[in-house]
Amino acid sequence: MPVKSNYVANATPLFSILSPGQCEEILFAAEEVLERTGVTVHDEEARDILKKAGCWLDGIRVRIPSAVVDRALNSVPKRVTLCNSRTGSRDVLLEGNNAYFGTGSDTPFTIDPYTGQRKRSTKQSVSWACKVIDALPNLDFVMSLGIVQDVPLLISDRHQFEAQVLNTGKPIVTTAHDIYGFADIIEMCEIIAGGEEELRRNPFMTLYAEPISPLQHAWEAASKLVLAARKGLPVVYTPCVMAGGTVPATMAGVLTNGLAESLSGLVINQATREGSPFIMGGVFTIMDMSSTIFSYGSPEFNLLMSALADMAHYLKLPMFGTAGCSDACVVDEQAGIEAALSIAMTALSGPNLNHDVGYIEYGSTSSLEYLTINNDVIGMARRLVRGIKVNDETLALDLIDKVGPGGHFLAEDHTMKYFKTETYYPELINRQRYDAWKEDGAKTLFQRANEKVKDIIENYQPEPLPADVQQKIRAVVERAEQKVR
Amino acid sequence: MTRSQYVRANYQVNATPQFHVLSEHQCEDIYYGALEALERTGAEVHSQTALRIFREGGCRVDGNRVRFPARLVERAVRSTPSRVVISDREGHRSMFLEGNNVYYGPGPTNTYTLDPFTGERRRPKKSDTVRAGIVCDALPNIAYAMDNGTPMDVTPTLADVHAFQALVENTVKPIIHWGFGIEQYQDIVDMAAAVTGSLEELQRNPFIILYSESSPPLRHSEEAIDKAIFAAKTDIPVIYTPCTFSGGVAPATMAGSLVISVADFLVGLVAGQLVREGASFIMGGLISTMDMSSSILSYGATELSLLSAGLTDVARYMKIPMFSTGGCTDSKVIDVQMGIEAAFSILIAGLSGANVVHDCNYMEYGATGSLELMVMDDEIIGMVKKILKGIEVDDEHLAVDVIDAVGPGGHFLGEMHTMAHFRDFWAPTLINRLRYDGWKAEGSKTMGQRVREKTQNIINTHEPERLPKDVLHRIQEVVDRAEAREAAKKISK
Amino acid sequence: MSNYFEDLAKSVIAGQQERVKELTRQALDAGTDPVEIINQGLIAGMNVVGARFKVGQMFVPEVLMSARAMNGGMDLVKPLLVGQELPSAGKVVLGTVKGDLHDIGKNLVGMMLESAGFTVVNLGVDAGPDKFLQAIKEHKPGVIGMSALLTTTMLSMKDTIEVLKEEGLRNKVKVIVGGAPISQDFAEEIGADGFAPDAASATDLCKKLLA
Repeated sequence: MPVKSNYVANATPLFSILSPGQCEEILFAAEEVLERTGVTVHDEEARDILKKAGCWLDGIRVRIPSAVVDRALNSVPKRVTLCNSRTGSRDVLLEGNNAYFGTGSDTPFTIDPYTGQRKRSTKQSVSWACKVIDALPNLDFVMSLGIVQDVPLLISDRHQFEAQVLNTGKPIVTTAHDIYGFADIIEMCEIIAGGEEELRRNPFMTLYAEPISPLQHAWEAASKLVLAARKGLPVVYTPCVMAGGTVPATMAGVLTNGLAESLSGLVINQATREGSPFIMGGVFTIMDMSSTIFSYGSPEFNLLMSALADMAHYLKLPMFGTAGCSDACVVDEQAGIEAALSIAMTALSGPNLNHDVGYIEYGSTSSLEYLTINNDVIGMARRLVRGIKVNDETLALDLIDKVGPGGHFLAEDHTMKYFKTETYYPELINRQRYDAWKEDGAKTLFQRANEKVKDIIENYQPEPLPADVQQKIRAVVERAEQKVR
Repeated sequence: MTRSQYVRANYQVNATPQFHVLSEHQCEDIYYGALEALERTGAEVHSQTALRIFREGGCRVDGNRVRFPARLVERAVRSTPSRVVISDREGHRSMFLEGNNVYYGPGPTNTYTLDPFTGERRRPKKSDTVRAGIVCDALPNIAYAMDNGTPMDVTPTLADVHAFQALVENTVKPIIHWGFGIEQYQDIVDMAAAVTGSLEELQRNPFIILYSESSPPLRHSEEAIDKAIFAAKTDIPVIYTPCTFSGGVAPATMAGSLVISVADFLVGLVAGQLVREGASFIMGGLISTMDMSSSILSYGATELSLLSAGLTDVARYMKIPMFSTGGCTDSKVIDVQMGIEAAFSILIAGLSGANVVHDCNYMEYGATGSLELMVMDDEIIGMVKKILKGIEVDDEHLAVDVIDAVGPGGHFLGEMHTMAHFRDFWAPTLINRLRYDGWKAEGSKTMGQRVREKTQNIINTHEPERLPKDVLHRIQEVVDRAEAREAAKKISK
Repeated sequence: MSNYFEDLAKSVIAGQQERVKELTRQALDAGTDPVEIINQGLIAGMNVVGARFKVGQMFVPEVLMSARAMNGGMDLVKPLLVGQELPSAGKVVLGTVKGDLHDIGKNLVGMMLESAGFTVVNLGVDAGPDKFLQAIKEHKPGVIGMSALLTTTMLSMKDTIEVLKEEGLRNKVKVIVGGAPISQDFAEEIGADGFAPDAASATDLCKKLLA
């Protein structure tokens, strides 16, 4: 076999929207916004922290010098690890271009897999969702796929977390109403991990918080950033911006404004405690100027997501992305199209923690069938990203010569050795011949997905938490209930 | 923000998204692998005409086996034009097959069609090809026409000729067309020349591309290679496209499949360039994986996209225009799977920068052609084209001044900046963004239902530009001549 | 004169504020009744805009440009309406409920209502029952509209309705609600008069409730 020199190979496909020069321009523009326009911070403690860090305060308006932003960018860890709560194994390494996929969180509605009806999400619907996520191999982390609404709403976040952690061992990205809810959830996590230090060393949970666009940090959000830093636990901070609505209509302007929101959140977090794990988020999309929805399926949404991933890699920040979601009100062809585009582009770009798989109706409703279908789409995208290996063994010139013109490769050892690893075999996507498919009931992909969802709900058992741990978690939820009664 | 006092130096931008599966070195490896296979293993050629051309051209011919010296193949690659321009039926230069320009359209010769009115899967008729012409003509993101199914209610050996007649009479867009053999090719070229006025005019401004498929590994039937030779002789652009599926007619490894595909294309190319140096050839590549359970050639697999994009990288390395695949599915029904597979392959084909992306109508692993899928693909192509435009980064688009004017907690809806730019947003027509209540009020339709309505509406109302009477008459004469020829053959048998 | 009105309406539709002002001035100089200018020119134009938006022929920024153009004309006409009521489709008090800073949707509703000829009092964000109560006493609106994005803050809508009942004001004003987690069922459950899923239907809803 010959030895080569000066050989450059694409180990994976190379894909980028922005050049490093363009990333730099956007960073500078965002820093200019922070220095000149600033943000509002609706939390006194956070304002004090910012002031001490060298920011300029004018009432609740805070302007951030670029030096302070740069300092935060230097102190933030470039990688964050999340674990499985049952096995403790460090499964999710948020670093570089690793792309992991998970669900989204607080949809008010969900589609009942048994009746097909759209209904308000409940503790049971969240429990089912988490079971399904736990069972699907291409889903790496969990968000609740619904707001629990059949419990007292003011403490529904505790119920929501309980429903999640009882039904899956996969890492959880959790929302909380405020720092009190967050504190209770952390307490539950510490019970499971076996202590504060243990949880910090091997976190299986990260908190989710978001600023309000444009350029506002509400009390809930800012105080969560402070608490996460104090606890040394990772936090996802994710601006949800609408081009033409809450940010400019131009894509570069969207990125500038969104990034300014992220970076000011980062500064609050790092100024509280340098080195705190922080994951930059961003659901950047357009406002549909006809229906006024926040679009989860537009091509601009995909472009912005990939561009932000380029930014995150340029800044060396772990990133929280978005994919596998749709504006369609029903799981139809459109839902398939939008999932394919967003999952393929996300996998190619490599933001790290990609949520909202399973969202339909522009994020208002979740569907377990859609989630299950997207498990296949993620598999497809991952195969794409593995790319093409070129070497003497894969070029197979000897084999080609051996088989010769007009022959076939079906019975070759080489084929046996490679056909499974070189090819991705989806589970629900159907490749049967027409007659066989018809004989099997001529089912659509949705029907096959619905069967699989029901099968998981009825037959799959996630690894349970020990009974005493379950009891202690219950006690935390009940304590919260007492307080609101 | 006024920063006009300075110009940024040494600034490189991505004018569009950047996407490459293979590095230049990897492309070189695939290309050299193909040269080695042709020199060492060679190809089986079943045409006396082709064997003579190869022998006279300097190839080593041993019975049906032809081995190709690398210098000969490289010379053929060098003499092939790196760009081919295709006009529409009216002579407007409309498809520039060069660089990374991407054009999408349907594919040919399906053995079934999905009737957009009855929902029935049935054998295609000539009237279905008429519909295909009309729908191709109407859709803005479909750049050219192909037949969407072999018509089976005509003389079987002239299905190609009848299909061409149906297309050319119902669309002004360029037509990519197949034929059973060179007699039918001659009929098709004569019909096209009737439209342009003369063969010379057709050669200068071709609005057709001929299409020939070979069957790997390294095997070329008389029909396949003779059609490539005919196209070169007649000086009409041709797509030579081996139908490669890994694990079946090529190694199970992706790189090995690319080697087979490139090598088989080069066999046709060498024949064509030996006949006429500088003949326009487009590298085909229907390339995917064989599903080892159902043994279909998968049109929905991720490997189709990956391999096609890899092959496109090699075509770019060879500086030869590329014919790729996308917008197709293995699904037997209009469903979520169809949407997923069509979107996935249209995206990757677009990112790869292949010049012609065909099969935006193929369902059931290519067995059935669907106009509804083509209509759905038209929408997906619109989305993907928006993605391919990338993101502009300059002071106007960064909008730092606007952000400052609006300030924290404001909104941008009434800004002149928004007014000036919101129309850059891609505007959906079949994708639904109504709110739940609005969607329900409009009948809770799925995208499949909306697609069907639009398809029916196009067929019922779209009026393509008609050909002049005398041209129609001359086209009919060619068809009649072909019918008489086939009838005579039958009698002589 | 009908040409004046037609031109005026067209300029409103096209969102040409300067042209609208110029035409309004011309009409006034020619002695046209200000109320006619409003009804047959400015409002007539906005009515077309509203209809076109509903069928997807016009988009939000264009509607707002038209509203801006209309207001340019209104500002010239208003001072001349001495003693006459400014023609209004009705008065609406809007606010994003207590604890919630998400107000883009509510602002959009406000702008759409204004473009349809309503008088809008915008209470901004973080508006609790007291703020609504005070606004009702002060402005005497026909409708109050509350918006929320969060399931926790949407509970505040019910509180406001309860306070209105206690104060004996519930029958004097219509209450409408909207926002991502809100549905028709929820609106009924808390005793609101209506729910609108988007800004355009909020306008229709107000028209219906005040008819």
